[in-house]
Amino acid sequence: MFLFLAVWVGESSAQTCALTLSGHAEDLDTREKLAAATVKLQETGQQVFTDQNGDFRFTNLCPGTYTLEITHVSCDLQTKRIVLSRDQHLDLLLPHARKTLGEIVVESQQPKPAGRQQITARDLEETRGKTLAEALSRINGVTLLQTGSTISKPVIHGLHSSRLLTINNGVRQEGQQWGNEHAPEIDPFIAGKLSVVKGVDELRYGSDAIGGVILVEPRPLRDQPGYAAELNTGYFTNNRQYVMSGVWEQQLKKVPAFRYRLQGTFRQGGNINTPDYRLNNTASREANFSVTAGWKKEKFNTEVFYSQFNTKIGIFPGSHIGNLTDLLNAINAEKPDPVFLGQQTYSINRPYQQVSHQLAKIKSGFSLGEHKFTVSVAGQFNHRREYDIVRSSSNTSPQLDLSIATFTEDLSWEHPRIGNFTGMAGVSFMQQDNSYSGRYFIPNYFSHTIGAYALEKWRKHKWELQAGVRYDAKNIDTRRLKFNGDTLDYNFSFSTLAASVQAQYRPSAPWSIQTGISLSTRAPYVNELLSDGIHHGTATYEKGNIFLKPERSLNSTAGVRYDAPSKKFSADWQVYANYIHDFIYQQPRPDEPVLTIAGAFPLIEYTQTNALLYGTDLALTAKILPRLEWEGKLSILYAKDRSRNDWLIWMPSNRYTNELTYQFKDKGRWKDSYISASWQHVDRQRRVPDETNGKQDYKAPPAAYDLIALNASTTVKAGNVPLTFGIGVQNLLNTRYRDYLNSMRYFTDEQGRNIGFRLRVPINNGNK
Amino acid sequence: MKKQLMKIAFAAFATGLVLTSCKKDKDETETNDEEVITTMKLTFVPVGGGTTLTYQFEDADGPGGLAPVQQDIVLAPSKTYNVSVQLLNVTANPVDDITTEIEEEKDAHRFYYIPAAGSNITVSNLDNDSNGVPVGLTSTWTTTAAATGSIRVVLRHYPGNPPGKAAADAVDSPKSGTDIEVNFVTRVQ
Repeated sequence: MFLFLAVWVGESSAQTCALTLSGHAEDLDTREKLAAATVKLQETGQQVFTDQNGDFRFTNLCPGTYTLEITHVSCDLQTKRIVLSRDQHLDLLLPHARKTLGEIVVESQQPKPAGRQQITARDLEETRGKTLAEALSRINGVTLLQTGSTISKPVIHGLHSSRLLTINNGVRQEGQQWGNEHAPEIDPFIAGKLSVVKGVDELRYGSDAIGGVILVEPRPLRDQPGYAAELNTGYFTNNRQYVMSGVWEQQLKKVPAFRYRLQGTFRQGGNINTPDYRLNNTASREANFSVTAGWKKEKFNTEVFYSQFNTKIGIFPGSHIGNLTDLLNAINAEKPDPVFLGQQTYSINRPYQQVSHQLAKIKSGFSLGEHKFTVSVAGQFNHRREYDIVRSSSNTSPQLDLSIATFTEDLSWEHPRIGNFTGMAGVSFMQQDNSYSGRYFIPNYFSHTIGAYALEKWRKHKWELQAGVRYDAKNIDTRRLKFNGDTLDYNFSFSTLAASVQAQYRPSAPWSIQTGISLSTRAPYVNELLSDGIHHGTATYEKGNIFLKPERSLNSTAGVRYDAPSKKFSADWQVYANYIHDFIYQQPRPDEPVLTIAGAFPLIEYTQTNALLYGTDLALTAKILPRLEWEGKLSILYAKDRSRNDWLIWMPSNRYTNELTYQFKDKGRWKDSYISASWQHVDRQRRVPDETNGKQDYKAPPAAYDLIALNASTTVKAGNVPLTFGIGVQNLLNTRYRDYLNSMRYFTDEQGRNIGFRLRVPINNGNK
Repeated sequence: MKKQLMKIAFAAFATGLVLTSCKKDKDETETNDEEVITTMKLTFVPVGGGTTLTYQFEDADGPGGLAPVQQDIVLAPSKTYNVSVQLLNVTANPVDDITTEIEEEKDAHRFYYIPAAGSNITVSNLDNDSNGVPVGLTSTWTTTAAATGSIRVVLRHYPGNPPGKAAADAVDSPKSGTDIEVNFVTRVQ
C-alpha cells in the first residue's frame, strides 16, 4: 500500500547494542491474536515469528531507525518505521487482506470465533450507499422488515426490533427501535465491520438479546504517523440517488499518542420507481457526521466519539389511510391510484418522518498489571417526528413527536489469562427519559436498568468452551398527561436473567463443530405495555397490555463448518431452535372494533403466547474453475405459535441464493477485478395463521419471486492512488414483485431495476 | 499514576450513578392532537318556520377510551330543512371549531350525504367550492312519508397538491381519504 523509505542511521560502535524491541500483533478487524506472522527488520535482515499469543521479540539491537516488516497469510504486508533509542514495545494491528475473494481464504485459515457471523469486505463494499439493514441482509439468516424501499430493519431468524440489540461503536443503540417503521438510526459508512453475535458474547450487551446482537464497529483509529483519507461516492439510477461519504484520519508524528478521525455522509434519493409506475413522495435525505479522537499509550487509552444522524423520509401517500373502508379499497386496487404516481422529484411532502440521533461517548481503557479495565460513558439523544397528512395546509407541526435521552455507563474488567482461561466481567447502568408531544402513542417515561455479567472462556487443543451469565433489573415509571389535566401513571419493574454456554470442537484443521444454548429474558417495551392509538399505516387501533410479563427464550444452536484444505470447497451449516415462553405479539380482536368519528377500526392488542422458531442456514462455496467460484445460500425458518398450534404472522419466508463470481487475474495497474451474477429465490410464505376464526391479515402473502443481480468491481492504480470502481445492478429483469415482510405490499410493487455506480478513492500518506 | 487513573475512572462512574434523578414529572399536559375531531353537529332549520333541530355524533375523549355518543336524526314527514354541519374538537380548551378550517380549504374537502334506500330522505343543493364542485357544508334535506332508515355522512379530504377534486368523484375515490364517516339512524315521524 505504502512503503517507507528506510533510513538506517549507522551508529558509532561506541554505542551499546543491547536494546529490545518487543511487540504484539492482532488482526485489525477481528482482533484475533496473529500467530506465525513473519516479522522482519529490513535493515539487519533479522527475522522472527510471532508466537501463539501474537507476541514477538528482537534483542541486542543497536539504537537507530529501523523498518519493521510484518506479514501474515491473512493480512496485507505492513511496514512500520521505528526510531529505537530505548527498549520498546509495539502493538501492531494488521488490516485484513483487501482481496475480495481472499476473504474466503482468510476464513479457512482462521476459524471464526464461535457464535459470530461477519459480513465480508466485498459484501460491505457492494452495499455501500444502501441502508444498514440491507448490508446486514448479506449475512445468511438475516432478512429485512421494510416499509417501502427507504425504511428497512434487520430481521434475524424471524426476530427484529426490540428483540435485537444494535451496538453502535460499543454503545447500545437506544432510539425508538420498537416501531416496525423505525429503522436503525446509524450511518452505514461508520461501519468498518458489521457482524451478528449470538451466544455468550451477547451477555456483554444485555440480557434481552433474544434474536441476537448486531455489532457496528468502526475501524480502529490510525496506528501509524501520517494521514489517510477516503472518499466514497455512488449514484443509483432508479431513484436518482447519490451518496457521498468522506473520511479523514490522522496520527500526529509529534504526538503519536493522539489520533483522530472525521467522517461525514450525505445521501439523497428521489421518488422510487417500480417496474410499472413511480411512487410519489418516496424520496429520502440523510446527512450524518462523526468525530473520533483517541489517545493511546501502552497502559492507558481513551477515545471520544460523537456522531450525528439526520434523516427525512417521505412515506407513500397512498398508504396513509383514513379508515378501514379506505384501507380495503386501497388494498383491493390492483395498483395505486394515478394521483399517487408519476412525479419524479427529490422533494418530500407529508406524510414523512424526520429522525435525528446523536451519540456522544467517552471510553477509556487501562491496564493494571495483567488486568485490563474499560470504562465507557455515553449519552444518546433521539428525536423522532412523524408528519401526517393534515386537514390544514398551514399546519407545520408534527403529529407524533418523541424524544428519548439515554445515558449509559459500562465498566468491564478482563482478568489475566489463568492457565487456559480468559474471562471478563462487568457492570452496566442505563437511564432513559422519554417524552412526547402531539398525538399520544406511548407515554412519557423514565426508566433505569442496572446489570452485571461475567463470562469465561476456556481454550485447549481442539476445544473451546464458553459460559456466561447476566442479570439486569429494570424500572419503568410512566406518565401520560391527558388533555384534561388528568395523569395516568403506571410503574413497572422487571428483573431479567440471561445465561449461555457454548462449545467449539475442531477435530482437524478443516473441520469446526459448535453448539450452544442461551437463555435470554426481555422485559416488555413501553409500547407493548401502553401504546394506545390509531396506526395510520395499517388502519388498526393498537392497544398495549399492562399485564405483560417478560418473555424468556431458550435458544439452542448447532453448526458444522468444513473448509477443504485445497480451498476448493467450503460448507457452513447451522441449525437452531428458539423456544420463546410468553412471546409478545399483536393479536387481532375482530369482535371488538373501536368506533371513532372516522368509522370503526379493527382492534389489535398485545398479548403473549409460547412460540417456537426453528430453522436452518446453509452456505456452500465451490471453485468450479480456478477463477470461477460458486456460492449457494439457503435459509429456512419455521415459526410456530405453540399455544394455539398455529403459525406466527409476519415471519420471513424461505429463500435461497446462487451466485457465480469470476475473478480476473491482476494485470498491470488493474487489481482485484471480478464480475458476479446472483439469483435469489424467495418463496411465498405458506405458513401463515389460520383464518377460520377471524381474519388475521388483510391480504394473502404475495407470490414467490426471483431476482437477478449483477456486480462488477475493479481497482486501478492512478499514480499512487488505487481507485476502486464498482457497478451493481439490482433487479436486472425489472421483475414486478411484492415481499411478505414489506408493509407496502398491500399497496405497491417493489422497486424496479436499479443500477448503481460506486467509486472509492483512498489516499494514504505515511510520512507527513 | 495508575491508582489515580483508577480512582478517577471509578469516581466518574459513581457520579453518573448519583446523577440519576427522576424527572418524568413534566409540567406540560398532552399537547392535544389538533387533528382530532370529536363532534359532528347537524343543524336543521325547517323551511317555512318551526323549531330548529340539532343532532350530533360526539366522541368527547377522541378515538379510544370511552365509546362515542350518537343521536338519532328525527325529522318531520314531507318537510324541507336547510342543514348546516359543524365540526368541533372539544378536547381542546377553548373548544376548537374545525368547520372554519374546512371553510378555508373547501377545494380539498367534500361532504357526502348518502341516505339508505327507503329512508325517505333526499339530500340536495350542496354548497360549492371556488371551482364549483360540491363541499356540502350546507345542504337541503327533504323528507316524504314516515320511515325509519339511516344516512351515511362522510367527509373526504384530498391530500394531493393540487387536490384534483372533481364533481364526478365518488365517495370512495382513491384521490381522497376519510376524515369522518358516521352512520346516523334516521326516523321520519
